[in-house]
Amino acid sequence: MILFDPLVLLLVIAGLYMAWNIGANDLANAMGTSVGSGALSIKQVIIIAAVFEFVGAVVLGSRVTSTIAKGIVPVDSINLVDPHLVALGMLAAILAAGFWITLATFYNLPVSTTHSIVGAVLGFGLMAAYRGIIGFEDIQWGVLIKIAGSWIISPVLGAVIAYVIFSIIRYFILQRAGDPYNIEKKFVILQIMTACFIAFAHGSNDVANAVGPLYAGLHALDMAGVTIPLWVMVMGGLGMVIGLATWGYRVIETIGTRITELTPTRGFSAEFATATVVVLHSYISLPISTTHTLVGSVIGVGLAGGLAAVDLSIIWKIFLSWVVTVPVAAFTSAIIFAGLLGVGL
Amino acid sequence: MIKKDYIRSVLNIFASSPFKPLVMHANKGGDCVRKLSESLFAFCNGDMEKVEALSREIDVIEHEADVIKQTIRSELSSSIMLPVHSNDLLNFLKPQDSISDDAQEVAFWLTVRKFEAPDEIREGFRELISKTLETVEMYEVLVSTLGELLETSFSKRDVEDTLDLVVKVEEMEHQVDMIEKNLVRQIFRNEARIGAVGVYHLARLVRGIGDIADKSEHAADRLRTMIMRR
Repeated sequence: MILFDPLVLLLVIAGLYMAWNIGANDLANAMGTSVGSGALSIKQVIIIAAVFEFVGAVVLGSRVTSTIAKGIVPVDSINLVDPHLVALGMLAAILAAGFWITLATFYNLPVSTTHSIVGAVLGFGLMAAYRGIIGFEDIQWGVLIKIAGSWIISPVLGAVIAYVIFSIIRYFILQRAGDPYNIEKKFVILQIMTACFIAFAHGSNDVANAVGPLYAGLHALDMAGVTIPLWVMVMGGLGMVIGLATWGYRVIETIGTRITELTPTRGFSAEFATATVVVLHSYISLPISTTHTLVGSVIGVGLAGGLAAVDLSIIWKIFLSWVVTVPVAAFTSAIIFAGLLGVGL
Repeated sequence: MIKKDYIRSVLNIFASSPFKPLVMHANKGGDCVRKLSESLFAFCNGDMEKVEALSREIDVIEHEADVIKQTIRSELSSSIMLPVHSNDLLNFLKPQDSISDDAQEVAFWLTVRKFEAPDEIREGFRELISKTLETVEMYEVLVSTLGELLETSFSKRDVEDTLDLVVKVEEMEHQVDMIEKNLVRQIFRNEARIGAVGVYHLARLVRGIGDIADKSEHAADRLRTMIMRR
């Protein structure tokens, strides 16, 4: 049976590994803020995250997945040369991204899985062009520019929305209340809703980082049509949930115990802004980093005077990781792809 | 301490808040003055052993206050964004730190010479330290309102409540000034009985205690600036 094609199997395994990573880190980061504000217990957060992450991936995940799979590199033209090239290239991309993410996780660098996979897919495209399989001009530079632009816009937009939301809460609720602690209690319920929302948003955008390359490979080998098979999305969703359950809970725990500043009103503002921005990008098919958007949103709350102390040096670190991740992932992916071509798998 | 938690980004954005240590620091100043008040009463009763012991205790508390102050300063790098100007915060930390410094100095001056003066001066000292302690304790209340201010992110009502406390501290400091002047006059009136060295010693003590109230008032004033200029 063709499903047991070693290439497909490798893509599935690598995709699951990416999904696991995303669940263990990015998702945990996004959910940790709900624990920090005391709105939810860790168990509750994991259950909410599992359900809504999965729903988000399956319901709204296909748009960004298509962008990763077909939007950057013209896989259809490569297909005409040899369908195996696409599968190999995508395998190279996901291996490169997975490798870079593992390294970054080990050294605790603020690297985004989204930036890694986009860089890695681009690397595959560049190597294909270098080998003369496609022209350099065939790579969708326009889409890439849009993606890169969204990486700058998304944290800024998160900051603006969070600033506005918190300012409204501050002006209309906090400053008129006799007892601010009572208000915080009431916001717990709202924050449970935003926890669901953020899990949904994260699932809808980040699932693509894991299953985008897999889908491209399947599509090239004629095992998937124009629409993404449901089992692919389900697999991505499951992988992320497993990552959260096996490793991410520790990350949530750590974040939860250290972020005590983020009371329910602040947490609500930051999470709602983040989820809104991420869902918006999922809808317009652009892959962005949930974690970086969340950082932007927290800064927004800080700018509105909602936090005791915010360390802005992280902006520089994020920018640096952004600049490093894309070329490194692209280069690694290109090398792996060239290697695989040499082996002649 | 570098501990690998395998967490990227989100945690790094939360810097440690300087406001809780600020309140702790103010309370250390309060502790010093409470001990100093005890010490002055012991001094007036001629219990020099207790005065010595309390002076050492105050040394320890003053050092703890210094450590907190250094921690606050070292963690306030230029990339940290606060809801107030960090310069204003540092400007108010400085006089607040002087409260424990001045208390330490007076506590030391109490140990160097026995109290030998008429009862009315003894009574004057008790009154002076009591009012000073009251001022410092009012100042502690004032600083403790910072928590609520942050919680409501500086609601108008809370800002007004805090500013009212600043005025109270200022009024109390003024009362300390009055007591201080009277006491100095009394000391010089009794010059013949106390002797020149005694006058020098007591006048020095009066000034030292007065300085403590001055610094509380000064810090309260800076705190107001910090809140108003935010």
